[in-house]
Amino acid sequence: MTAADWKRFLLVRGAEIAGLALLAAVPLSVTNPFALGLLTLLAIYGILLVGLDVTVGYLGQVNLGQAAFLGIGAYAAGITVTSLGGGMPAALVIAAAVCFVLGGLLALPALRLEGPQFALATLSFGALTTTVLNEWESLTQGAQGLQVPRPPLLGVTIDAAAFYWLCLALLAMVWISMRNLLSSRWGRAFEALRDSPIATDAMGVSAYGHKVIAFAIGSSLGGLAGGLYAFNFQYLQPQSFTYELMVILLLGVVLGGRKSLWGAFLGSALIVLLPNLLSNRLLFQLFSGIGLAVAAFAAVQGLRKKTAQPFQALAPVAAMGLLLVGSLVVTNTEDWRKAIFALMLFSVVVGLPEGVMGFAAGWLSRLFRVSPPALPAPAPLDAVLPARATDGSPLLELHSLERHFGGVTAVDGVTLTVRAGQVHGLIGPNGSGKSTVVNVISGLYAPGGGEIRLHGKPLPRGSLYRVAGAGIARTFQNLQLFGELSALDNVMVALKGVFHTPLPLVLLGFARLEERRAQAAALALLELVGLAQQARTRAKDLTYGAQRFLEIARALARQPELLILDEPAAGLSHPDVVALTGIIRRVHERGVTMVLIEHHMDVVSELCDVVTVLDGGRIIAEGDPETVKRDPRVVEAYLGASPEAAHEAAAAGG
Amino acid sequence: MLRVDDLHAGYGTAEVLTGVSLEVGAGAVVALIGANGAGKTTTMRAVSGLLKPRQGRVLLGGEPVEGLPASRIARLGLAHSPEGRKVFGPLSVEDNLLLGGYPGLPRFFGFKAKADAELARAYELFPRLKERRRQAAGTLSGGEQQMLAIARALMAKPKVVLLDEPSMGLAPVIVQEVFATIRRLKAEGITLLLVEQFAQSALDVADYAYVMERGRIVTAGTPAELRRDERVLAAYLG
Amino acid sequence: MDLSIIAQIVVSGALMGLVYALVAYGFQLTFATSKSINFGQGELVMLSAFFSLTLMNWGLPYWAMIPGGIVFGALMGLVVERAAVRLALEQKSEGWILLTIILGLLFFSSAENIWGRDDRPFPTPIPSDPINILGIDVTPVEISVAVGVFAIMGLIELFKRKTLLGKAFEAVSADRDAAELMGISATGTVKLSYALSGAVAAVAGILVSPITTVGPTMASALILKAFSVAVVAGLDSGFGVVVIGLFLGALEGLASLYLGSGWREAPGLVLLILALAVRPTGVFGKTAIRKV
Repeated sequence: MTAADWKRFLLVRGAEIAGLALLAAVPLSVTNPFALGLLTLLAIYGILLVGLDVTVGYLGQVNLGQAAFLGIGAYAAGITVTSLGGGMPAALVIAAAVCFVLGGLLALPALRLEGPQFALATLSFGALTTTVLNEWESLTQGAQGLQVPRPPLLGVTIDAAAFYWLCLALLAMVWISMRNLLSSRWGRAFEALRDSPIATDAMGVSAYGHKVIAFAIGSSLGGLAGGLYAFNFQYLQPQSFTYELMVILLLGVVLGGRKSLWGAFLGSALIVLLPNLLSNRLLFQLFSGIGLAVAAFAAVQGLRKKTAQPFQALAPVAAMGLLLVGSLVVTNTEDWRKAIFALMLFSVVVGLPEGVMGFAAGWLSRLFRVSPPALPAPAPLDAVLPARATDGSPLLELHSLERHFGGVTAVDGVTLTVRAGQVHGLIGPNGSGKSTVVNVISGLYAPGGGEIRLHGKPLPRGSLYRVAGAGIARTFQNLQLFGELSALDNVMVALKGVFHTPLPLVLLGFARLEERRAQAAALALLELVGLAQQARTRAKDLTYGAQRFLEIARALARQPELLILDEPAAGLSHPDVVALTGIIRRVHERGVTMVLIEHHMDVVSELCDVVTVLDGGRIIAEGDPETVKRDPRVVEAYLGASPEAAHEAAAAGG
Repeated sequence: MLRVDDLHAGYGTAEVLTGVSLEVGAGAVVALIGANGAGKTTTMRAVSGLLKPRQGRVLLGGEPVEGLPASRIARLGLAHSPEGRKVFGPLSVEDNLLLGGYPGLPRFFGFKAKADAELARAYELFPRLKERRRQAAGTLSGGEQQMLAIARALMAKPKVVLLDEPSMGLAPVIVQEVFATIRRLKAEGITLLLVEQFAQSALDVADYAYVMERGRIVTAGTPAELRRDERVLAAYLG
Repeated sequence: MDLSIIAQIVVSGALMGLVYALVAYGFQLTFATSKSINFGQGELVMLSAFFSLTLMNWGLPYWAMIPGGIVFGALMGLVVERAAVRLALEQKSEGWILLTIILGLLFFSSAENIWGRDDRPFPTPIPSDPINILGIDVTPVEISVAVGVFAIMGLIELFKRKTLLGKAFEAVSADRDAAELMGISATGTVKLSYALSGAVAAVAGILVSPITTVGPTMASALILKAFSVAVVAGLDSGFGVVVIGLFLGALEGLASLYLGSGWREAPGLVLLILALAVRPTGVFGKTAIRKV
């Protein structure tokens, strides 16, 4: 290990180990049961919020069901102990498993749509859970409440300190396995599908499948936390797990900072301390004052740097100001609890959307200058993108392909054959149907009629994910990169044939070697498109040209039979166009078959073996570039009707 | 009537327009031609306010309008028939036309009576729209939707009309019909800025034309001058 | 069981279902223009009901109170639009879901502290003695709910179809950019939709209050069912919400009859999750085309 590696290890892991050791040492010196109770709750909520962060942070979906999973887990554990006579380990496993299954079942329908439907479905699920817990009295004792004993573990009676250590140990295990998961291909896929579900599917990574699994995992952590909750309080009531708790949990995740284990931990500390904060008036006034000062500082910064609109900058200040006034005027803060949560959440969501951790992370990394781990040497390109035989046999065949949008016929009976090893140009004036043709081939749209065959076999229709699985990769005319991920991670999301470690082993941390191999392979592809130096740069911070090249590298990571390039030169400067032709030529040399949609005729004539010209959704010419360019129909399609023809039409029409 | 000075605009990290300047005199038909991706549509969007310019000026009848919301610019007398037609699919043809006249019509009642003359003119220009006036615009054919988009842009009696790729995606016969319409509008003295990929046809109707390449104007002139210019053909066919 | 009792329960359930439909219709109004809905809409129903009650306590007669309540609801809708929806869209985030929830929570807590936590009766001049129609007892209050729901929905539909401003509303939901090019301000239209949606919530509050009484939690069950109706019917079909609202209301009545009153809320919630599984865009909804 180099000095930089040691430094990073000591700082990052050191902070975690020190934190854990400190927390674990508390019961040795503190015997106050109240303080111990708070710390136990901190560990339990920590697990719960790490689970919630998977959906809210990584998937970017508003999840209003986590409180319900806490309740379901709690009751599952309680019932396991009381009715089935199980021990604590069995109860916790059952709690997590029940929530994993229920979470998956809820996610299957709920995650099919983006937007408010998911939040609505989880909200309804929460309400339904409360109803069931209340009404299924034979199982849950209903409103009367369920007494849960804390059974001995391995013959040892669990006292408060021991239970606290158990919760802390489980939090540490969850922490480590989630870190393993989130730094593996799974975590990358979660982030990728938030930035662009379409591109995730098109890279052969099922956006939907990953969303469901992420939600199930998050829910199972909710269940585990619920199990611990049951043994902590030893008395369960349905109304503990309602909407209000859910809002507090959201407050925890958002304030702590999304996409961060430390953020979830900070958030749970806040949730645990909040009731105590509210019961002490002076503390609350102090807290509000600090909040107002922070909000005012942020507002001045935002306005000065013009990163925030005036209303956006001032709204959190107003909210915190209201909170401060309230803290001075209102005598019984408990009555205003919900309004206080609301004002705090509002200020955080608007004024500090990255949360405390998001804010602190940037600051800490500047302070300590931790460099990311060194990358491996690029893998040999032959291993990443094996050269293919190019026999010129038919690879992709379209027959009478059609697609309509309302009354408009975008593709009107296109029949063409792309041969293995060739660069097949698809050109035509704007609106001639080129993009629709590739969107139909790649599965974004289902065809209205006709056939598509790859290697003589029918291609799946109307599913980006399954078409990608069949061996077709594509780029997008309007870039669809995973903006928040680094260039390297963008390629690694799509990488095929490297990741084999099953999910349980990933959680245990057995995916590291595979991860190094994947980095080496992705680097080779970045090198191919000239981006090896920018491997660590976030995709959205790359220059426009580099973003276009990154899309090509990402598509190549699929080792595609056929690569579709949808207007790769659009908007590029001249030097970038030259670089692009170089890249395409190098890819061609490796025997990759390509369909190239392009407007720059110079690029087309330089690169393409065959060119098909579309106009009005039909093929008007096909052949080698030089012949096609001189075809009068093509000239007319590009430059418009000759003057005589136009005048005739005017005379006839008018 | 319309003057654009040193316009810069773009999306995200990409700067698409790097200083576009052009002028459209009252009653003139000016064409903006160039290969795809040259920035013609972006120019139109930056002029009409759909895209906020990063730098530069847009003067409509001498008044600066850059940076205003598109709806304000439209009410000041600029009509923009966008690329891809963008008719209101679920609404009827007639409703589409009435909405075209939105700036000058009463908001609640009596708007139809007030728009009568303009409606009649639109139907006279495009008899096919009259036949289909109760039909949902989304069910029209591509050519009919284009007619509707043009007619809709004329409803508010604008000072300047921007027509973005009126021939896009249409069969050749329909394209000729579209150009016949443009000729009629020209004869009526309507001020037009026409973006066209079909350079030949555009040059046939235009009084003056600008040629764009990679986000800037590379050459300009009367159609006769441009037809002799080798660079124009080169810009298209390489 | 006696058939007439079942008929009775179906009819009163369905009448209540119309209120769910009305609130769901409020979601559709804002979803059409801005692809967002107010998760705190239940609090607007409740606040408007409280405000209307206060107006009457000040001595305003029932019929004069109604416009006051509606204007209040519309103003609150505008507050939600500015402080939650537009704010989140300015930040280009999906934060509007969180922000509308947060505002709802703030409204809820304020109501609790201003008007107290107890349920209060809501006086109405409409008699509540049942009248017998075809063997089914219906109270004039229940009938007034149906009349009110259809009246306000009908008015808004008329507005959308017959006035130019209403057509502009539809234009913005069909194509925001193109509407802007016609001189129609999209932000103005979004504001209008939130004001209308708030007004609709106020009407819902005034209509149900005589039946449910007024209290901070009066709308918390109602709103869940309105969500269900909106999702099951689809977020773009005004006709659909009425059909699904009637259906769900009746189903609920039957559920509480056969399973016990505690299960009253269950059908709507189950229906919502099922609808998402079978037809995510709603029974009457349109499927959208994905674009790249």
